[in-house]
Amino acid sequence: MAVGQRALEATGFGRPGRLARAREWWEQEHVFGYGLIAPALLLVVCLVAYPFCMAIYFSLSDYWVGAPGEFVGLENFRQIFANEVFHRTVYNSFVFTSIAVVLKAVLGVWLAMLLFRPMRFKRLIRGAVLLPWVIPTALSTLAWWWMFDSLYSIVNWTGIRLGLIEAPGPNWLGVTEYAMTAVIAVNVWRGLPFFAIIVLAGLVSIPREYYEAAEVDGASSWGRFRHVTLPLLKPVLAVVILFSTIFTFADFNIVQVLTRGGPVNTTHLFATLAYQTGLVGGNIGQAAAISLFLFPMLAAVVFIQLRYIRRE
Amino acid sequence: MSARIGRRQFLLTSAGAVAASSLALDRAPAYAQKRELTFLSWNHFVPASDVELRKQAEAFSKQAGVTVRVDTIAHLQLPAKFAAEAAAQSGHDMIIANTSTGFLYENHLVDVGDVVEDLGKKYGGFYPFSKEAALMSSGWKAVPWFWISFPATYNTAHYKKAGLEVPKTWDELLKQGKVLKKQGNPVGIPISHCADANTTFWSVLWCYGGKVLEADGKTSAINSDKTAQVIEWYKELYKDAMDPEVLSWDDASNNRFMLSGKGSWIHNPISPYNAAIAKKMPIADDIDHHNSPGGPAGIHSGPPINSIGIWKFSKNADLAKEFIKFHFKKENFDAWIVASNAFNHPPLRNFADHPIWANNPKFKMLPKEAEYAHPRGWPAKTNAAVNLIEVNYALPDMVAKAVNGMPTKRAIAWAEDQIKLAVQGKLETKGKA
Repeated sequence: MAVGQRALEATGFGRPGRLARAREWWEQEHVFGYGLIAPALLLVVCLVAYPFCMAIYFSLSDYWVGAPGEFVGLENFRQIFANEVFHRTVYNSFVFTSIAVVLKAVLGVWLAMLLFRPMRFKRLIRGAVLLPWVIPTALSTLAWWWMFDSLYSIVNWTGIRLGLIEAPGPNWLGVTEYAMTAVIAVNVWRGLPFFAIIVLAGLVSIPREYYEAAEVDGASSWGRFRHVTLPLLKPVLAVVILFSTIFTFADFNIVQVLTRGGPVNTTHLFATLAYQTGLVGGNIGQAAAISLFLFPMLAAVVFIQLRYIRRE
Repeated sequence: MSARIGRRQFLLTSAGAVAASSLALDRAPAYAQKRELTFLSWNHFVPASDVELRKQAEAFSKQAGVTVRVDTIAHLQLPAKFAAEAAAQSGHDMIIANTSTGFLYENHLVDVGDVVEDLGKKYGGFYPFSKEAALMSSGWKAVPWFWISFPATYNTAHYKKAGLEVPKTWDELLKQGKVLKKQGNPVGIPISHCADANTTFWSVLWCYGGKVLEADGKTSAINSDKTAQVIEWYKELYKDAMDPEVLSWDDASNNRFMLSGKGSWIHNPISPYNAAIAKKMPIADDIDHHNSPGGPAGIHSGPPINSIGIWKFSKNADLAKEFIKFHFKKENFDAWIVASNAFNHPPLRNFADHPIWANNPKFKMLPKEAEYAHPRGWPAKTNAAVNLIEVNYALPDMVAKAVNGMPTKRAIAWAEDQIKLAVQGKLETKGKA
């Protein structure tokens, strides 16, 4: 035994040194696995779980900026439910999200099909399409804001010159319907590349043989799209719609820059109303209650979509 | 206390020992850093004003052997920054505080009564409205710094063409506006989510004898004939004297409206004129100002007023007070007024007769605006509820609903609900009246 041990030590194997023991411990599958997850978990706990718990605590307290308050139960929720502006915000959020996501999905698939075609400068064009997604939203929205300006709107100017609209043209950010149209248009413009590029990746992964077989069977281009492309894209589409719904529901920049919730609160979303109430108005408790409303709604969306994806 | 020396105590003792030894040696230890005094302010609408402020900070730095740093950020970002600093109990030493900031953070700000008293005695006293904006039940929590006059700006050429004299009352403005709109030069008052929309509404409401809150600061007073009268006035003005674009305006829109040559009259600080001068635009010759109009209850206005507050968590409160006194030396304050091209109005009476106003016929009437001024909320004191009403734009939204067709009574009832919701909660501890 003693000889065997010495021989092992001489060859450098099986030395019961501290380092080796630590390494052995580390390399066990369950330790190693959790070890790799730990940094990410720590980040999630610090940056997501902790703020989330604080938000729940704030929403149940009478917390104003600079003056931590006491526990008030559901008082904040009672107050926001009694507020017409909050009702309007719920309505706006649904209108904004549903129209924007549908438009992004339809146009995104369309754009992806166009980008999928063989063409010249393919890479350049694909890169260019991504631009709206890459530019910081606050900056690009400022350009849009200028385009919708009541006095100098280039949209109206062009429309009037082309004879499409009558002077002075729509008051983009001052009339409820137009303002909603404007914020949706900018959101679609910005979110479209995300859709298109991910759908494009989905398209690339569809084997050519299916199309060839369909062509042999005499399927029209619509038939090929309807019965080959769309079914095979479904899982990708479901994921991208899931992400997009979350992003759109929680949007802040576009509304804040374009309308700040106006005219008469008809473009307020949860995030902008919460910002206005909490950080500008000082009522942190109520703002936390407003922003918490995003949670059950998004949770429902995520639940439905994930179930759908799993079934696929 | 235990006999063991705690970590804190050890640090304190050793720091004291180092300080004592350095004093004994009569020179600073090599590793000692200069004390740093920090000031968080906004990006001034006239950037030269910030340049002058930084120059003074540097001069004070040299004089006091410290470093003064002035940080400026966009004014819309200030509330979030204040909230973060108060929550973290660390950040800058001094902050620019508008009226509501002072009241929201009353418990977090140092009493500056000694500085205010000193300055008041030296320079003829503070205007009453600036006092109301900074004197809270717990004492002076900010030093009134500067206010921004909110007169009327008008295009003399358009007025001449229409054969009109400047309006003395809001009613006259309505009559003139009808003529001017027909001429192709409407007037402009924002009815939207912007600060100017609030400012003008307060002014018009007060001139008609209306109020938003009773003097107790908790009871809604919006539901009155006076408010109804004001809304009817707005409706007529919107229909016959303005363009619908006022529903989408931000704080700069009326400036553009004036500078484009289209607008004939706006209620605004002098920034359009200053911009026209700075950019050498020919329209500068046509732009002039007159005092804010009045109504049956006299002339009233709600110009924005800014003060300087010192955080309680600051370790440099005394130094900050010294800096404020330095900045308020006549020669320094005058230089700062000049740098802002008459934009920064002093809250102290003796500073108001600066030649920059007296010698310019277009600015001559500006200091007089102080006589009509009240902080927001008047006759109530500014408090957290007034701030909420303002930042939620409940007042311009009420008007917007009415001009879009909602019956006046219903629009007022809607605003009353909003005001009641804002007043709810424990206001006693949050900037009480």
